[in-house]
Amino acid sequence: MEIKKLLPPAIILLLFLGSWHIGALIYNMAFILPTPLVVAQTFVADFDIIMTGLALTFEAAFTGYIIAVVIGIVVATIMSLSNILEKSLYPYAILLQTVPVVAVAPLIVLWFGFEMKSIIIISIIISLFPIINNTLLGLKSTSKTLVELFEYHKTSKLQTFFKLRFPAAIPNIIAGMKISAGLSVIGAIVGEFIIGSGSEEGGLGVQIIYAQADLETALVMALILTATSLGFIFFITIQTLGWYLMHKWHESEMKRK
Amino acid sequence: MIAISGVSKHFDEVQALAEVNLDIATGEFISIVGPSGCGKSTLLRIVADLVSTSGTVTKPNKGAFVFQDSALLPWLTVQNNVELLMKLEGLPNIKEKTCIALEQVGLTGFEKNYPHQLSGGMKMRLSLARSLVLDPEYILLDEPLSAVDELTREVLQEELHEMWNRDKFTAVLVTHNIAEAVYLSNRVIVMSPRPGKITHIIDVPFKKRTPDLRTTTKFSKLVNDISGKLRTWR
Repeated sequence: MEIKKLLPPAIILLLFLGSWHIGALIYNMAFILPTPLVVAQTFVADFDIIMTGLALTFEAAFTGYIIAVVIGIVVATIMSLSNILEKSLYPYAILLQTVPVVAVAPLIVLWFGFEMKSIIIISIIISLFPIINNTLLGLKSTSKTLVELFEYHKTSKLQTFFKLRFPAAIPNIIAGMKISAGLSVIGAIVGEFIIGSGSEEGGLGVQIIYAQADLETALVMALILTATSLGFIFFITIQTLGWYLMHKWHESEMKRK
Repeated sequence: MIAISGVSKHFDEVQALAEVNLDIATGEFISIVGPSGCGKSTLLRIVADLVSTSGTVTKPNKGAFVFQDSALLPWLTVQNNVELLMKLEGLPNIKEKTCIALEQVGLTGFEKNYPHQLSGGMKMRLSLARSLVLDPEYILLDEPLSAVDELTREVLQEELHEMWNRDKFTAVLVTHNIAEAVYLSNRVIVMSPRPGKITHIIDVPFKKRTPDLRTTTKFSKLVNDISGKLRTWR
């Protein structure tokens, strides 16, 4: 990537870190606001703990994400088959989006136990709606002319789906997957927060609870940054997948002149 | 041959077509002209079995439909776009036919390109190539040249005429452009506005269809004559 492209966000980052550092020095209470330098040192010192947490959070978020993508695409496909199916299922898909996940999480833990299973389920719930919604939009907006072309040639519904409707929906599916990428990590952290005290070893969310209880604010921040980066990496991976699938034909991924 | 008999169409309260009867001989080139909303596109879609009707249409088995906006799949290469319909229909010798068809429409060398990289004229050539590889007995064309510029349009008319001459398919063309209809057709069908029905069937007497035909007085006279019939509804 060109330096020109990286420079503006790099300047913002430096300004942010600089004012944080100065602010923290003036405030001078490390257990409330440690300097970025202290956070970095903690990251190195507690690297093992952080990586153990990261591995567990990654496992939960990734599993939840993949399951959400599969379920989301399947449910959207079912909804796209008929108006009646869409009308009967869509309201419940919206409920997935409007349910306060943080409030429901304790129930999930109560039903499924203090295990990774519960964390994965919470991650799925929070990731599902954007995938359903965007995939459905994509499957429903196939060009009318192309549908007529397939209809004229008496193509079966299955063939029309795989050769036309699904590939035409890929830009929307990727858009939904991008939104859910970050959400799946948030869902995993929420799940770990609720499970929290139940286990000795735990993901990033569990570690945050412990570190906060010990007033290890620098560690809390290092863990938050790690969780944020995980979501960011998820996002970039999907972004790259989208580029790979679409850069040759779709407006959104073609090189701007 | 294509036989259209007693074809009517209602969209809710509106009558789009009223009792259309028309026989199109095998190998004939027919154009349908008429004011906007006269149902000529609907009539073509009824022949294609894309729209239902109370009348009957008989037609040969193997056909092709060419759409106004070329209807290419943007995520497929030129090569794959030509192969698509043959694959859907399960036809043999796909690679060989594609190669010949691309050569015929001057798109050799563009196999790996995507539709967005082609000009409007090239897209339409690709759309025509995709239909010709099916060895159709008839082709239905829904204003195929309306999206290209005037100069390309005339060149494409000549190419379309050559294809028809060479492959001997029956053609039904819906168009707004009367000169185009006269240049390409054996007969021009004039339709009235809603409810659409056939008001005139005009035989086009010209034997040779070469670019100079457009500059002759008998050509312009026929075009003006048909325009006059259409103007009565404006």
